[in-house]
Amino acid sequence: MSIVTDKSNFGNFYRPILAWLVALLFFFPIFWMIFTSFKTDADAVKPEFLFFFTPTFDNYLNMTDNYDYWRFAINSVITSTFATTLALFVGIPAAYSMAFNPTRRTKDVLVWMLSTKMLPAAAVLYPMTFLTKNFLNIFDTHFLVIIVLCLINLPIVIWMLFTYFKEIPKEIIEAGKMDGVSTWGEIKDILIPLAWGGVASTALLCFIFCWNEAYWTVRLTTIDAATLSKLIEGNRAPEGLFFGRLSAVSTAAVGPIIILGWFCQKQLVQGLTFGAVK
Amino acid sequence: MSNRTLPRLLQAPAVLLLLVWMLVPLSMTLYFSFIRYVLNSLNRPEWTSPSLSNWRGFGNYNYVLDAKDFWFAVQNSVFIVGGILFFTVILGLSIAVLINKTFPGRGIVRVLLISPFFVMPAVSGVLWINMILDPVLGLNGIAVEALNNLVKDLKDLPVLGSFFSLWPELTPISFRATQTSAYAVIIMVTWQWTPFAVLIFMTSLQSEDQQQKEAAVLDGATSWAQFRYMTLPHLARPIAIVVMIQSIFHLSLYAEIEIVSRGNGNKNLPYLIGEFANNNIGAASATGIFAVILANIIAIFLLRMVGKNLVD
Repeated sequence: MSIVTDKSNFGNFYRPILAWLVALLFFFPIFWMIFTSFKTDADAVKPEFLFFFTPTFDNYLNMTDNYDYWRFAINSVITSTFATTLALFVGIPAAYSMAFNPTRRTKDVLVWMLSTKMLPAAAVLYPMTFLTKNFLNIFDTHFLVIIVLCLINLPIVIWMLFTYFKEIPKEIIEAGKMDGVSTWGEIKDILIPLAWGGVASTALLCFIFCWNEAYWTVRLTTIDAATLSKLIEGNRAPEGLFFGRLSAVSTAAVGPIIILGWFCQKQLVQGLTFGAVK
Repeated sequence: MSNRTLPRLLQAPAVLLLLVWMLVPLSMTLYFSFIRYVLNSLNRPEWTSPSLSNWRGFGNYNYVLDAKDFWFAVQNSVFIVGGILFFTVILGLSIAVLINKTFPGRGIVRVLLISPFFVMPAVSGVLWINMILDPVLGLNGIAVEALNNLVKDLKDLPVLGSFFSLWPELTPISFRATQTSAYAVIIMVTWQWTPFAVLIFMTSLQSEDQQQKEAAVLDGATSWAQFRYMTLPHLARPIAIVVMIQSIFHLSLYAEIEIVSRGNGNKNLPYLIGEFANNNIGAASATGIFAVILANIIAIFLLRMVGKNLVD
């Protein structure tokens, strides 16, 4: 027990109250979105039904008719899943070799990888459209979205994996080498089981970033590969008429991700600050 | 295989992919920024496809620098990023210090606080601008109207009424104009990114030297003095990192601007590039190069800090 205990009134009484108020205030917009999703579109804009109304599930039941929700949701699931998988397949060997066979240039390579993340996406908007539309003919395909999502998250994935792998004692990996295990075997049978938690949280965070990405998924798709970001972005216009159904589709789009996010709060710090904050 | 080749081979796919991803589009942008290239031109059809014979030198850059839109977009980008940074750092610091001690339900408070960060930007934009900030149908409008009605009722009271008679009728702020919609962007992004700042500051607070703090308490240091002279210096580095990471992310803010501005003139650099890219590719590319330069200035500082932290 530390001797620094806050014995003042503030610490014991007001701190929790204030903290709870702040937390509820921050959560309020999300709560309001979920709350409104159970109102009909007509009720949602009437002040007399602000807090008391007859709840309805229609907005959720009609999501397919109103917005074709599932098509966009399936696209989001497909592109985020494959992009995450691909990023892990490319990232794990790279992080493995950086962590266990570092050279003088490893540090520079890592920093350079991060620097690709700093490039403003908008600067290369037209070349990307041009290349994928006129040249490669992959505009608005799942393939394109998967590749782009993988590439924009690859630096973070490698970075996070690198910091996890570095904590594993080198001797364990080298023991495997002595026993004549192949490199692939080392990764698959020794490294991944040992760093399982790290790999899982890297994957989770990568998946979340892919799901929420809102520049390339909007600009490089039209219909076929359009994700939930595109769906919501395309429905910004209705002025109040569709608050109920818009809330329902928004809740369905962000709900799963918020819950996943709760599980990787700690890794978020590491992933987004590239290990610079400890 | 030698000791050296295998590690390189394992890194090769990642390095090559990122190299292509970085170099190919960027060099194309650079190329387009030096030629005349417009998508629709009836008079000069030769400008509609990229070709070296349309070389324009720094013409596109001059054109962009002379455009009023460009300077407005730069100013607005800086204003929006500056506003977000100001509020996220102040709020982030206060909240991190507030919840850095144990109290009942701290875990739930953390979960509630972090949630906004995981909301996709498109949803955040639609939610805030329509349902919360709308001057008529949103909570903003509803709250102001309720307040006005309350004041009206109070004015009719027999004795106390005269006391309220001077209260003005309030009008809700509309967040649909050029300048106010920039405020709307600041509000919604601050909401999303304050949790991020809180998380980082909290992580850093936990590594603060507790013994030093105990000594300070024994010496009779006030809470404010502890915060000012011990906690704040300890947080200098995380604050710098939060500022830099957010600057890079928010300079390329797009979805929120797109949702909020709908042709009301509110724009930042990425939005302006998008507008140019509908027709004038040369100008879009030159603007893009300016955006890259702007981001790089910040990125260099950030990468130095990150690089320093790497243990070889």
